[in-house]
Amino acid sequence: MIASAAMGATEPPANGREHWAFHQPRKVALPPVERADWVKTDIDRFILAKLEAAKIQPAQSADARTLIRRMSLDLTGLPPTSTEASEFENACASDRTAAISALVERLLASPRYGERWGRHWLDVARYSDTKGYVYTREERRFAHAPTYRNWVIDAFNSDLPYDRFLLLQLAADQLVAADSHDLAAMGFITGGRRFIGVRHDIIDDRIDVVTRGTMALTVQCARCHDHKYDPISTEDYYSLYGVFHGGEDRLIELAAVNDAQLADHKLKLAKTMKTRRDEASARLRARIADYLIAQTELKKYPEEGFDQILGADELVPASVRHWRDFLHTAKSHPIFAPWVALVNPGADSKATLNPLIAKAFTTPPADATEAARRYEQVFAEAEKSDEPGAAELRAFLTAPNSPTVVPDTGIVNNDQFFPFTAIEELWKLQANVEKRLIELGTRAALIVADLTPEPNPRVFKRGVASRLGSEVPRQFLEVLTGEKRTPFQNGSGRLELARAIANKDNPLTARVMVNRIWQHHFGTGLVKTPSDFGVRAESPSHPELLDWLALRFVAEDWSVKAMHRLILTSAVYQQASGATEPPLLAGFPSQRLGFEQLRDSMLAVSGELDLSTREKSAALLDSANIRRTVYSTVDRQFLAGTLRTFDFANPDMHVAVRHETTVPQQALFFLNGAFAASRARALAARLAGTPEERVQQLHRIVYQREASALEVEAASKFISESTIALPPSPALQETQWRYGYGSRNRHTKRLEFFTPLPHFTGTAWQSSEAWPGGETVWGQLTAEGGHPGVQRKFAVVRRWIAPLDCTVNVSGTITHKPTRGDGVRAFIVSSRHGELKFATALSSSVELSATGVELKVGDAIDFIVDLNGTIDSDQFLWSPIVEIGEVVHNARAEFSGPAAESSYLTPWEQYAQVLLLANEFAFTD
Amino acid sequence: MNPLFSRRDFLARAGMGLGALSLGALSRASPLSPHPPHFRAKAKRVIHFFLNGGPSQVDTFDPKPSLAKYAGKPLPTDYVRTERKTGAAFPSPFTFQKYGQSGMEVSELFSKTAAHADSIAVVRSMVAQVPNHEPSLMLMNCGDSVQARPSVGAWVLYGLGSENQNLPGFVSMCPGGMPIKDSENWQAGFLPGAFQGTYIDPQHRELDKLIENIRSPHASTAIQRHQLDLLRELNSEHRRTRQYDPRLEARLESFELAFRMQTEATDAFDITREPAHIRAMYGDHVHGRQTLIARRLLERGVRFIQLWHGTGQPWDHHNDIATNIKKHSGEIDGPIAALMTDLKQRGMFEDTLILWGGEFGRTPTVELGDAGKSLLGRDHNPYGFSVWLAGGGVKGGTVYGATDEFGFKAVQDTASVHDLHATMLHLLGFDHEELTYRHAGRDFRLTDVEGEVMKAILA
Repeated sequence: MIASAAMGATEPPANGREHWAFHQPRKVALPPVERADWVKTDIDRFILAKLEAAKIQPAQSADARTLIRRMSLDLTGLPPTSTEASEFENACASDRTAAISALVERLLASPRYGERWGRHWLDVARYSDTKGYVYTREERRFAHAPTYRNWVIDAFNSDLPYDRFLLLQLAADQLVAADSHDLAAMGFITGGRRFIGVRHDIIDDRIDVVTRGTMALTVQCARCHDHKYDPISTEDYYSLYGVFHGGEDRLIELAAVNDAQLADHKLKLAKTMKTRRDEASARLRARIADYLIAQTELKKYPEEGFDQILGADELVPASVRHWRDFLHTAKSHPIFAPWVALVNPGADSKATLNPLIAKAFTTPPADATEAARRYEQVFAEAEKSDEPGAAELRAFLTAPNSPTVVPDTGIVNNDQFFPFTAIEELWKLQANVEKRLIELGTRAALIVADLTPEPNPRVFKRGVASRLGSEVPRQFLEVLTGEKRTPFQNGSGRLELARAIANKDNPLTARVMVNRIWQHHFGTGLVKTPSDFGVRAESPSHPELLDWLALRFVAEDWSVKAMHRLILTSAVYQQASGATEPPLLAGFPSQRLGFEQLRDSMLAVSGELDLSTREKSAALLDSANIRRTVYSTVDRQFLAGTLRTFDFANPDMHVAVRHETTVPQQALFFLNGAFAASRARALAARLAGTPEERVQQLHRIVYQREASALEVEAASKFISESTIALPPSPALQETQWRYGYGSRNRHTKRLEFFTPLPHFTGTAWQSSEAWPGGETVWGQLTAEGGHPGVQRKFAVVRRWIAPLDCTVNVSGTITHKPTRGDGVRAFIVSSRHGELKFATALSSSVELSATGVELKVGDAIDFIVDLNGTIDSDQFLWSPIVEIGEVVHNARAEFSGPAAESSYLTPWEQYAQVLLLANEFAFTD
Repeated sequence: MNPLFSRRDFLARAGMGLGALSLGALSRASPLSPHPPHFRAKAKRVIHFFLNGGPSQVDTFDPKPSLAKYAGKPLPTDYVRTERKTGAAFPSPFTFQKYGQSGMEVSELFSKTAAHADSIAVVRSMVAQVPNHEPSLMLMNCGDSVQARPSVGAWVLYGLGSENQNLPGFVSMCPGGMPIKDSENWQAGFLPGAFQGTYIDPQHRELDKLIENIRSPHASTAIQRHQLDLLRELNSEHRRTRQYDPRLEARLESFELAFRMQTEATDAFDITREPAHIRAMYGDHVHGRQTLIARRLLERGVRFIQLWHGTGQPWDHHNDIATNIKKHSGEIDGPIAALMTDLKQRGMFEDTLILWGGEFGRTPTVELGDAGKSLLGRDHNPYGFSVWLAGGGVKGGTVYGATDEFGFKAVQDTASVHDLHATMLHLLGFDHEELTYRHAGRDFRLTDVEGEVMKAILA
């Protein structure tokens, strides 16, 4: 049966339990193929066997440039640099297999890898920096979200075994030390929408993210009735409901914070919470009779989600329910057995009664009201009595989980037990704590902590919380355990659930993950619905391959990187793209870049991408935000329209496959938005030389290839038409100076690429807001001098651009004052003529000048400083002067911040923008 | 290559689920391309006046003369459980009058709208689920009080596409900021983001602030044309060897669409192009302006428009309702009446569906504040409230259903929000049980597993 389903039968089996996905992956022999020479890895056999059966030839191998672009964007979300591309081309020419392996290793070792693949998981985890709709009293941002995001990225970078990755996300609280950074992992469970605190809905969201996310099972469908298609019962749903109900959300700091304000906020919160809890608990104890009577008219007290503004004098519906759930388990309770026997005469009570209670109930009460009054009286008398049994009664009233006590679980978990004014007050105090943590950028985790064992969950009939059905134990899904199912033993059972999921014997977990990996490499999963492996899902295109991959994944100790290696070194991955049916893969399916890849690629080619900052989140549309998109704020309540427009994963729900739409609003973002224009400006600023040289530089930077003759011609036509058609922008106040960094090629003695330093402090250009910091760490340029970057490849470059065809004289003195270290090297390099001057300065001043340098408009003269050897005391003074006849360009006097942006892009900027807009940039072959 | 397959695959990539395919959507190039419904229907577009906060039925479209008998005294009936405490009967301070041939009774608060009484079908027996704004807004807008589900507008756009590719197909206007629950009210849920409502704050008069990225500060139209010509050249060259991928052409086309959108949107939102007497009819204030902009958008083929009263919840009249409801109704009565007149004179009334209402109604009893003091306002009431529909396919002059003697609860022909949605979809040509989208292993629909069309209000 399993075999026939796995062979691709389209009709679901009559009994869902027979469905292939619910049975262990099967070890299969590698299929025989005719063209064994084509095969590079075992994966290829599965693909080729199908192609051969369909009499289709696989495509040719892709060329080296296509491959490096495909692989870089795939693994890191960024395009290669042209240097990387040409080096790879050369390496391929001598040994293609070795070159590809080396490239895969380099990309997998790059921290950029986790930023790309971590984001795939964040789609699954419905990541958001905010809680969704909250009342104004509550802080709307999550204090823990960025820490969780970074944990995920780091987990991918360090190739944390996937089973461990899941275990930590589901139950780190029970696996690691109380101060472990791995607690951040629990943001997977706790990062969902808050549903204004309604617990049934929060739990529903968690059940969904866990079951669809890890096992591609749509358990959520069983909330109101048994699953329509899959063998998942409502009982199964409420078994899991119980697992997630048995915990409280707790915000903890993962780094020691020494902040007086924070301490003060926490103290106020704790004090007020204690006072309000004491008051509220006292009211609960004072009204035992009323709460008992309320049990006979439960309909009057609405469920969660039906909010009433309560005064202190009213019965609290949450406490009425607390009593209800307590009494449900109290048929043998020494104090409440008589009550249970009275209201539920069928109940078989065998309690040894508390003596005072026994005394109070020697005569049967006339009705529930009278019984309730007797309870109230007995409790009141026990307050000041030494009689046997009094202590037990008093202990009941103050036990932590007693219905006469407001649970000590924090306002996030217990707010429904308070009157309206206290709720407002406590939430505001909680908000102060969260706000401060966010302000400080404290690493924080929102964990779930198990509570004292709760009664077993009860089924909500048709999903309605007030219609309680049969009790079910906390346990794993029946379809995956079969008859050997035993209820979870420890606490909420969450760790046991985690172990049942992150388990090699779980038939779904490994399959689901290898399918997700496949999906992100090839655009489509072997199972097209990566988060639904149920009976109604389309059968896998290559069921044997899916099983083979799943087994291999487990055998490789759940290493995600091992899967990447396997796939990327396969012949099927290395094919040229072309007309292909996704399931057969006779060719690589070309892919459109997702929003993050597009935005990050634009920043990468414009040379601005800030890779240094990971903490906090940055507003997506903030013009100063030049970080990778994964670090931008995802606000599920006010999701940036741009993200929505570009089919970003909806952070309200677990997303397995992003939509891929094409709408004009996307084009407007590129055409009119400030982001694209800024990138075009920065990109154009990297260019120097003749128009043709510029076109070639642009194509190398943007597409990692040379421009064709046709493209050069089109460009030159565009630039000349644009220049003639448009008046020069009068608002432009730009100087001839640029401030950047780059790498000097010691063979050509020229600068490889010029990259603008992205941050201006008011007096200095540097790599990030903090100095040292950012890409070059120490790289800095001021009016007087500066400091080279931390390595030779980060030489600082003060660039002057010729405003017209001219002959110039260059002069100036480099001074290195410190007596420590080994000094700096200084170069003057012309984009046209190459190196003009060179000197080393160590505790000395050296004059550097050149005369009669002939330049064309747009040519650059670069004043380059790099390390002489080590990084130690390398600050220097050098403010050169460039003279064109009478006109003097003084680096010190003309030192400036970012030019006031002219209203219109210059022709070169317009051209650069078009290259960024083109399909070649937005797709990979 | 099998061309059908590739197109199918393209659609799948374009985010169209099986539901779309079942609509016979194989020829759709963009998710917003226009598309016929299940059956012929009169209504082609929708405008929804959302009186956010919850308008009182007993002060507007559901007269309750019996309240006067008990003024200041408790009502002789079980009080429904609401968010806050309420006390004595609170008769409407406004007078009702019969309008039109139908003799529909409407309060003086909507006397201008009432001039169109014979075109209106009032549903007086609406029920929601809980007396809280947030879930009720979700229920009214998205058909589910809790889960993130597509809004009505998103479903309609999914079903019908938009008739104008140069404008957003679904527009939500709310002056001064967002209503409670923000953009959740017009969300696309699990549908592609393209179906989400575009939010516009009509307080702004500059186009750039109305629509994101609609104008370029970086280039003139001439420069952009020049750029797009080069772009087409580069893309054509790139595509020459990649004819197999239809997405390339689609993306290229989207830039041309965007280019045209800039002109079209400028025109659509510019109400100074309207004659003076039309502007005067709508009124020179923000509600008049947003209603007139709405008409210009409807005229240009925008599929679904929501006009919210204002940021927060202006119609949440807990206090001094006599003053506050008069102010708020005064702001929209004129523009609503003007729109109906205007649509009629343009021949658009017959194929435009108008919906008026809030997320729930209010109590006929007075709300009590601290120490039981009367606040002269009304609490929320999901047990019985009024909405009305007019235009495309609606039988005018109809009163559907009824609340009890005092206006507490719907008692006759009770209509759930799912029923309302089923009726709206029906008026647009859809069987609400067949308009589905596959998500998370299930075929979802706007009306979940419920919904019955209110046949009595169909023309």
